[in-house]
Amino acid sequence: MKSVPKLIRRFTAILAVSGLLLLLLNLAALVVIGRGRTGSRSPYMVAEETASALRKTAAGYVLDAPARETLEEEGAWAILIGEASRRVVWRTENTPQTVPERYSLANVARLTRGYLEDCPTYTGEAEDGLLVLGYPETRYWKLMWPSWDYSLIAHLPMTALVVALANLALVFLIYWAANAALLRSVRPIVDGIRALPTGEPVSVPERGPLSELAFHIDRTSQILQEQKARLGKKEAARANWIAGISHDIRTPLSMVMGCAAQLSGDSALTPEQQKRALCILRQSERMRDLVSGLNLASRLEYNMQPLHLRRENAAAIWRQAAADFVNADPAGQWSVRWLGEPGPCFVTADRELLQRAADNLLQNCMVHNETGCRIYLSARREGKSCLLSVADDGAGVSKPELARFNSGPGGLSGGPEEDGLPHGLGLQLVRQIAAAHGGTAHFGQSAWGGFQAELRLPLEDSGA
Amino acid sequence: MAEEYWKEKRILLVDDAREILALLESVLKEEGYRHIYTAGSVREALALADEIRPELAVLDVMLPDGDGFALLERLRERGDTPALFLTARGEEADRLKGFGLGADDYVVKPFLPRELLFRVAAVLRRCYREENPMVKLRACRVDFSRAEVLKNGERLPLTAKEYELLSVLYRNAGRIVTIDALCEALWGDNPFGYENSLMAHVRRVREKIEENPSRPQSLVTVKGLGYKLLLEEK
Repeated sequence: MKSVPKLIRRFTAILAVSGLLLLLLNLAALVVIGRGRTGSRSPYMVAEETASALRKTAAGYVLDAPARETLEEEGAWAILIGEASRRVVWRTENTPQTVPERYSLANVARLTRGYLEDCPTYTGEAEDGLLVLGYPETRYWKLMWPSWDYSLIAHLPMTALVVALANLALVFLIYWAANAALLRSVRPIVDGIRALPTGEPVSVPERGPLSELAFHIDRTSQILQEQKARLGKKEAARANWIAGISHDIRTPLSMVMGCAAQLSGDSALTPEQQKRALCILRQSERMRDLVSGLNLASRLEYNMQPLHLRRENAAAIWRQAAADFVNADPAGQWSVRWLGEPGPCFVTADRELLQRAADNLLQNCMVHNETGCRIYLSARREGKSCLLSVADDGAGVSKPELARFNSGPGGLSGGPEEDGLPHGLGLQLVRQIAAAHGGTAHFGQSAWGGFQAELRLPLEDSGA
Repeated sequence: MAEEYWKEKRILLVDDAREILALLESVLKEEGYRHIYTAGSVREALALADEIRPELAVLDVMLPDGDGFALLERLRERGDTPALFLTARGEEADRLKGFGLGADDYVVKPFLPRELLFRVAAVLRRCYREENPMVKLRACRVDFSRAEVLKNGERLPLTAKEYELLSVLYRNAGRIVTIDALCEALWGDNPFGYENSLMAHVRRVREKIEENPSRPQSLVTVKGLGYKLLLEEK
């Protein structure tokens, strides 16, 4: 269930980043729009500048040309209220007729704060009075009575932060509340999806906003179970068929082998006939090995072979296989050399299967070097592994073939060869046996130029 | 191969395939076994067993009127006949059942005649000790009944371990017995770390059985694998 918190974290992060981006965007929009609406200069500043630009001359008051142009651009008018007289002593030509001539203190205070004849007004201190700048009615909207509690302004940063955090918390709360139901229905669906690859039957309750998804997961699980059952049936049928065939072929093969063995040693026959009988014997032995190998390979592939795992000395098993091989070859056509280290190599293994792997590899040396060769066996410890090897100085195997032996999943599903049988079955079996023991098998060229097979099995921790 | 003594043993072969029976009979007879009897069914086998009192039974498991397992039980009611199963049924459960019933060996078809001969000889050797088992080696004779080596007119007694070592090698005469198998035979189920002791026992046995223990002729070393006892032909 690691993905649900991850999902929540991701959504929360997206929400937070979206909120922040939205805020920044809004501020930017406000600044841009505000700047467009308010123009480049503040009306208060224009009022101050206009007041400064108004000079008293002998002919009366004169406004500098730049200030005049500014007023024209802004569509504003201006009057000067005399300091002592409180009367309008100067005015621009566009000043509305309705603007009064005389002003009381209250009038001055009002126009300073807000409007005069509905025109927003701004004041500036001139040489002999107060300059009043009036704008068209719809040019500015003035706040006339803005005043705030002092402490509110003093604590404004903290207040803003608290409000922002509260808002954020509120947003997340709303998010949680809105998604709680969704999360509740996501959890069983996530569990169901995680359980699907295990091959176990999955049942997700079909309720909540994601009930349709749950239904499809249940359906998928059902289909997988049906497929698994069908596959199991097919595999069992295949394995049983192989087992049946291998059983039925044994008695006739006994006859072939027995008669061929007798004929090969029959002194009444010519050497050529004896040789042919020996050839029949060798080929029937190969058939026997093939049938039995096929049977074991299918059982290993379909997990029908019970493994009797116990603590075994792999070196002893390898040595026994070598001794059996030598004992069965009294003529010494294939001489065997033991290169293993002294001392045991303890592994957790099925003795019979490991012996079978060794037998297969020795048979492989024999079959591919019919005229004889030297075979080297070894068992040694390397780190946490036990390395069991069978090598020869015989014909060896081509690189493409070695690559094929070392690649792919192995087993019977490797596909038939040109002769219709899985080629190198003995080696595939060795690889399957190594895999059944949690190890690996690697095939390559030996130091003596021939073929080499190496099994790497995990050593048992307890040691000797 | 089996000595003359064992070749006199009465062997009962039971298989429903007549060709197999004929083949087995011919293989055993060629090897020198003189008293071979064959039966194709449980009924036939029991009747024959009552008559000949077999000293070894080679049984197929699947028979037309019963199975070899039941037949072995019936034979064992009549006497402690050693038995070897020779069958196409190679499943683990079958083999365990066979051994569980007290079979002395279990051979799965198809088999090599030579392999079967070895197994028959091994069962006979294990089950019937020669009345005077005097084994002839290159430089001496070994009297297993007295645990003694007779060399140059001298009687050299064998210690228990030396006797066991020679016995195991003798039962597998002409074949390599691995160091591990010898250690297991001499020191039981936990035979690890006894390799040096084994070498010491081998050296002492050689001193008793060889003319020149430094150049052994009878108890030979197969480097890295084990040892082999070579018998002299009678």
